[in-house]
Amino acid sequence: MTSPHGHTSTTYPKGRPMKSRGVFIAACLTTTTLLLAACGSGDAGDDGPVTLKFQALSDQPAAIAATESIVEDWNTANPDVQVEIVPAGWDGVYDKLITQFNGGAAPDIIHYEAASIVSFARDGYLADLTDLMSDERRADIPEGVLDSVTVDDQVIAYPTELQSYVVFANRTLLEDAGVEIPTGETMTWDELREIAKATTKGDVYGLGWGLSSPTAAFMALAPGFGGTYITGTGEDADLTVGEGEMALPELVHGMAYDDKSILPVTLTQSGSEAIASFYAGQTAMTVQGSYQAANIAKDAPEDLDWVALPPLAGPEGPQQAANPQTLSVNIDSEHVEESAEFIEFFTQTEHLAALNEADALIPATTSAQEALTEKLGDENGWSTILASGQNFTAAPYLFADSYAQWKDTVATPAYQRYLAQETDETELADQLTSGWDEITQ
Amino acid sequence: MRVIAQQMVRPAQYVALAGYIIFLGFPLLWLLSASVKSSGELNSLVVNLLPQEWHWENYSEALARQGLVRSSANSAIVALASTALVILVALPASYVLARLKGAIRAAGVGWILVSQVFPVILVILPLFLILRTIGLTDSLVGLTLVHTTYTLPFALWMLQGYVAAIPVELEEAGSMDGGSRLVVLRRIVFPLLAPGVVATAMFSFVSSWNEFFFALVLLQSPENYTLPITLSTFIGGEGKVALGPLAAGSVLAAIPSIVFFSIMQKKLTGGLMAGAVKG
Repeated sequence: MTSPHGHTSTTYPKGRPMKSRGVFIAACLTTTTLLLAACGSGDAGDDGPVTLKFQALSDQPAAIAATESIVEDWNTANPDVQVEIVPAGWDGVYDKLITQFNGGAAPDIIHYEAASIVSFARDGYLADLTDLMSDERRADIPEGVLDSVTVDDQVIAYPTELQSYVVFANRTLLEDAGVEIPTGETMTWDELREIAKATTKGDVYGLGWGLSSPTAAFMALAPGFGGTYITGTGEDADLTVGEGEMALPELVHGMAYDDKSILPVTLTQSGSEAIASFYAGQTAMTVQGSYQAANIAKDAPEDLDWVALPPLAGPEGPQQAANPQTLSVNIDSEHVEESAEFIEFFTQTEHLAALNEADALIPATTSAQEALTEKLGDENGWSTILASGQNFTAAPYLFADSYAQWKDTVATPAYQRYLAQETDETELADQLTSGWDEITQ
Repeated sequence: MRVIAQQMVRPAQYVALAGYIIFLGFPLLWLLSASVKSSGELNSLVVNLLPQEWHWENYSEALARQGLVRSSANSAIVALASTALVILVALPASYVLARLKGAIRAAGVGWILVSQVFPVILVILPLFLILRTIGLTDSLVGLTLVHTTYTLPFALWMLQGYVAAIPVELEEAGSMDGGSRLVVLRRIVFPLLAPGVVATAMFSFVSSWNEFFFALVLLQSPENYTLPITLSTFIGGEGKVALGPLAAGSVLAAIPSIVFFSIMQKKLTGGLMAGAVKG
């Protein structure tokens, strides 16, 4: 309505101010409650027992329970040094730790993996545990695994759990193809290729291998072919791509395109995605992380008769590069010695055996591997998987400063192009080395 | 022919609407479906919307996971508090931005645009150090302030658009009728801004509710974890993901947000009807 003065008249919404006031008061109350809640929390003071913060990344309910049980046993036995678990997820933990270290707020005990803690050690954030690790523990850790947590001659972490690459096979499909199931201590890659060819019939492919991010698998399995990729450490590390490094990518390429014995779609999938075709009987074998044994036992169709095949061996043997999960100590912790004592306790044979059983991983100590083998026997391929625990060797790439960047920006795209037949062997090798040079120059 | 074409318009609109709703709703349906499937079925090549066997254990496993309920409460506290703070600051500030001309507006708009340029990863360390100095790391108060700061520029941008859409003649009319500026704001501008405030509040709430990175870095104690942090613990190392429990946890986590939205949606549509210009 237009007023006689030409102004537009307005309808005033009745009751609106009251509602606005109510919303305002509610907002103030929320804020006040929040402030009061914050004021109510905090440290009780400096008196009392030492409390160590243990940032744990366990994600499986059974592994969480195993970790809690170990910590509870420690806390009962050590009333003056209490350990408090700070659960955290694997997702984004690297960024979290960088900020925690730089901000001086890192926990005392840090759970992570060897590949990621080397840079923290080089930057001086991790305590040297060389003199704090007991002789008994040092002798119990296979040399290659211990090497993976040794930076510049300093032990910077205790290794706890590992995974290896294992071939799982559909026994029925192998037997139907007239293949004798390998049972020796190791199985050669040539044997794998022959079995894959023999079992490729009709709609069934011999092998499914989730290689959407192939670099980790190629790097881990290269030692069996004499491939090291990296020489030197830190900023001085250099990349070599020769026969040993190219052997496995070429083998996979040959199986996929010459033999046509690898289900093509699996080359674009993750390991977890590729396992679905194994369950469905579309692939006779699949290469997976060893932890998948527990999932296969749980999730596979009841009529799937499966078996874990012996560790794969190249011309140089069955070695696989070790990248164990680790426990380290924050160098700025006021209780480095107590933290190391707790880790010694945590890595005792029975504790590591229980934790790895829960996580379906391979213990990092020989005694825990033996204890688990004794307990589980041949159930769900455990004996085969655990046997591979003695084949771990040092992973030189862990100690190269530029590895992570090269892996993400150069190697993975280059391998993907090669496996998609967009490039050949020569171009792959060129891309890997020229990409490294660009990053390091 | 023209009549037939006109008769076809409405059904075609409904078909398009139905298609759009399915497009929007399918991910949620799939989430619900995944939340009641066993890991065996989730890892099977056979894809069904309805599970072959209802696997409710995912929900019990999700609830048994440390702190899912507590972290939901933390998320609600932080999201509601930061939303309230954002609205409290943005409402008057947006009015100034929209109505006043000159240096203040230019500086304000410039600040809004510049603040959106910096990647989170760039600001997180200085932010962490500042909060640590004032003792607000690992606290819901600190996270609330960070969420408020981070959401405020865009909220301001949104709200000033709504303010600008209100004809200035309405305020002049109010003044001519004898209302002071405060009265005009309270009785004319703010009621007409209700839909904009609700939309901004919803944006602010969702931003805070879903925010992961700041919470990941700033919160150190499990009792302070927000929902995205707790849900991330379902994703393990070595590529392991507990898909079923993660989906169940996500469904449970979405409930408070859905409730909030259903309440606010009424206000949103209600606000659109209020304060109509007459004449």
